[in-house]
Amino acid sequence: MRSNTRLLLSAVMIFQFLSMALIAFSGETVSRQALILAAALPLCTMLASNLLGRLWPIDRAILILVLLLASVGVITLSAIARSEVTPRTHAIYAAAGLFAMTVGAAFIRLWKSWKRFALPLAVLCLLALFSPMVLGQEKYGARNWITVIPGLLTVQPSEFIKPVMIMVLAAGFSNRPRFVKCLPTLAFAAMCCGILLIEKDLGAVLLYFLTTVFMFYAATSNALLTLSGLAMGCGAAVLAYKALPYVQDRIAIWINPWSDPQDVGYQLVQALIAIGSGGLWGMGLGLGSPRNIPLYHSDFIFASIAEEFGLIFAVCLLAVYVIIILRGLIVAMNARTSFHSLTAFGLVVLLGLQTMLIVGGNTKLLPLTGVTLPLVSYGGSSLVSMFFSMGLLLGISSMNAEDEARDIEQLALREEVMA
Amino acid sequence: MKELRRNMRLVGALVVIAFIGLSAWFALTVFEQGSIWASNSYNTRLVNTGARRGDITDRDGTLLASTVDGERTYLSNTAARRALAVTVGDTAGMSGTGVEGYYSAQLLDIADSPLERLSALFNGTERKGSSIQLTIDAKLTAAIASQFPSGYRGAVCVLNYRTGEVLAMVSLPDYDPCDAGGDSVEDTAYLNRCLQGLYTPGSVFKIVTLAAALEHDPDVVNQTFTCSGAWSYEGGSIVCAGRTAHGEISLKTALARSCNVTFGKLAYQLGLQRLCETAQKLGFNENFKLGDFALYNSKFPTEIGNTSDLVWAGIGQGTVLVTPMHMTMITASVANGGQMVKPWLVKQIVTGTGAVTQTGAPSQYRQVMSQSTAATIAQYMYEAVESGTATRAQIDGVKVCGKTGSAEISDDKSVETHSWYTGFIADAAHPYAVSVVVEQGGAGSKQATELAARALKAAMEYVG
Repeated sequence: MRSNTRLLLSAVMIFQFLSMALIAFSGETVSRQALILAAALPLCTMLASNLLGRLWPIDRAILILVLLLASVGVITLSAIARSEVTPRTHAIYAAAGLFAMTVGAAFIRLWKSWKRFALPLAVLCLLALFSPMVLGQEKYGARNWITVIPGLLTVQPSEFIKPVMIMVLAAGFSNRPRFVKCLPTLAFAAMCCGILLIEKDLGAVLLYFLTTVFMFYAATSNALLTLSGLAMGCGAAVLAYKALPYVQDRIAIWINPWSDPQDVGYQLVQALIAIGSGGLWGMGLGLGSPRNIPLYHSDFIFASIAEEFGLIFAVCLLAVYVIIILRGLIVAMNARTSFHSLTAFGLVVLLGLQTMLIVGGNTKLLPLTGVTLPLVSYGGSSLVSMFFSMGLLLGISSMNAEDEARDIEQLALREEVMA
Repeated sequence: MKELRRNMRLVGALVVIAFIGLSAWFALTVFEQGSIWASNSYNTRLVNTGARRGDITDRDGTLLASTVDGERTYLSNTAARRALAVTVGDTAGMSGTGVEGYYSAQLLDIADSPLERLSALFNGTERKGSSIQLTIDAKLTAAIASQFPSGYRGAVCVLNYRTGEVLAMVSLPDYDPCDAGGDSVEDTAYLNRCLQGLYTPGSVFKIVTLAAALEHDPDVVNQTFTCSGAWSYEGGSIVCAGRTAHGEISLKTALARSCNVTFGKLAYQLGLQRLCETAQKLGFNENFKLGDFALYNSKFPTEIGNTSDLVWAGIGQGTVLVTPMHMTMITASVANGGQMVKPWLVKQIVTGTGAVTQTGAPSQYRQVMSQSTAATIAQYMYEAVESGTATRAQIDGVKVCGKTGSAEISDDKSVETHSWYTGFIADAAHPYAVSVVVEQGGAGSKQATELAARALKAAMEYVG
């Protein structure tokens, strides 16, 4: 392990331990759960980093930063949630996420026959996306959930489909296809967006659409078609605005949430008040009251973090996302096949877009769309799926490192022969 | 693959730019508006931050609001307490513009540095919020409120036109801050009519029309107008108060006697574009960013359907609306050689530990009219007080300039007109400008003019 990675690991572990210890001792009685987490978070981080790092030559910095984001989620929820059940559930999801990440890394390393399986996977995607229409119930104005075990486990298929869809797109766009060859893949993406639009999951539609456009551009370098695709998207957005009343409401709230601060604008007004109350340094962990914001734990967790930790920490958190994205792009650029390259690229772009959308929504830069803050927000589907995505990315990074090592070996061998 | 890499590098750069933009937006909005958001009355955190609310004092140091044993207390004199309520505000968050609400982030120091908070935690001391000293004179405010014609509603606003200090804001009906949110309080009592009251200006707007005429053609002073008590233009007619025929008059006499026909003709002669240009230069349709308090936008029509609308806009009727504070700012710029001063309310903010974090200072808003235009208008306003409609505004020993107004607020005269007066003392030792609105105070502006004279006299007595 390089020494700066070790430094990063130590810093993250100290942060996790200190924050959880602070939460444990801040109440009138010592919180047992917080104490356990104060030990468990740094331990898990160290174990995951060392075990996975020994097993495969992955990009450890990405791994550690991903774990940092997840622990920020656990810490924030421990500090602000009404009951201890929320952070506990979230920690369990994160543990499941670690497992999903390992599976993801192993999967992408072992899966060589992606060309043959692209079509069945695409069909699976569509079926899964369609399932809430038959089995699901409406939640927060969107019909995108299905119940797996009643009363215990509800699942949001659109979250789990994200990495799968990116792999399908990467398979379809690989090896510099001509535009005609892209058409079936584009049709698949359009169908996905269509189904999500019917389910009123606007945030997911936007994410799927933009990710497709970016991947298409990277794969074909066709700027003209990409821009016309974006223009079509804008046209569709205008149409959606004209046709769908709930889109109009969202835009109106975004433009002036203060016009009705107690009813429709309530969410955003409370989020802005929370951010403003936090100021530069924050109210202090556990000292703020972000619970005033509806959905403080999922859609508005960024506002909660800004209140608790302050502006400086929140901007640093954004920097962590940027570092993961940049390192992820390096992984994409070093990949040996265009399929792996595009997969890594798609995953990273999705991570960036989703973060932009929700942070922009929290801070009134963009209209609010109900997507989660990746790896931080409460929500099992999103967390596990995001961990799986990051697993794929790490798997690709390990393949790159192995290929590079092989190259160097061969070079050395050739030099020996030459000599 | 090479091309793939190039594209990805481009996307990477885009992502970095987007995130930098996001962070910059985030940081800038928090920096600029964070404390405004935080001090919003919907912020329930303000109730129990653990900090003691700081004091609010007037320009002489009189305690207007303080926290005693955890209770927020205001002036003990009921009349004075009520008079200052719209300025000081209340902790129930009923007043949208009061200092208690607008400055609650400072009064509670919720944006305190964590270091100070930590030390307070360890020392076990109670954190004390910042104290705010205002430019307001409590005695003056109370005196004006007590002189206000009983049973009437309205607003009085007094400014120092050289420095921009807000000396008094009176808005009636008023309320008791100790009873804020109570059932007995009428809803409109929470409004600060000086800042939030949008009134039809009526004849006081002639100052603006006159400014437009002088700015666009200084020779207009030599023009004579004919008034036969009424003037019929295409599509309507305009009359002077009581159908008085002013005869052949100069612009000076027309302002002094408040001749509607002359100013209707003047507006017609100018045209909408020029009139609107000057009105906007004087701050109509402008979102004033004053910093110390929020002021509603005064309105002047930018598009007009017919001649009638233009003629009536020229005498401040129709869709023209103005806040008393803005009207005072206009009068103040006439008094101040065409320079509009920025009104300010907060003299000083001192933290609980004694550090001064904000000091108010005079600053120019902008030159809104030329010096010669201002001098001419001032001279005409002096004429109005000496021998025109505003003779009741005279004060012994000082030179007073002013303009009266009676704003029609109904089409059929079923409702009494709003009684207006705006004016100033042309004396470097007493640089005070005042605007008075008495809602439905009746034509002739007697109520408003007399009150303005008393208000300026009180300002000379209490402020100096």
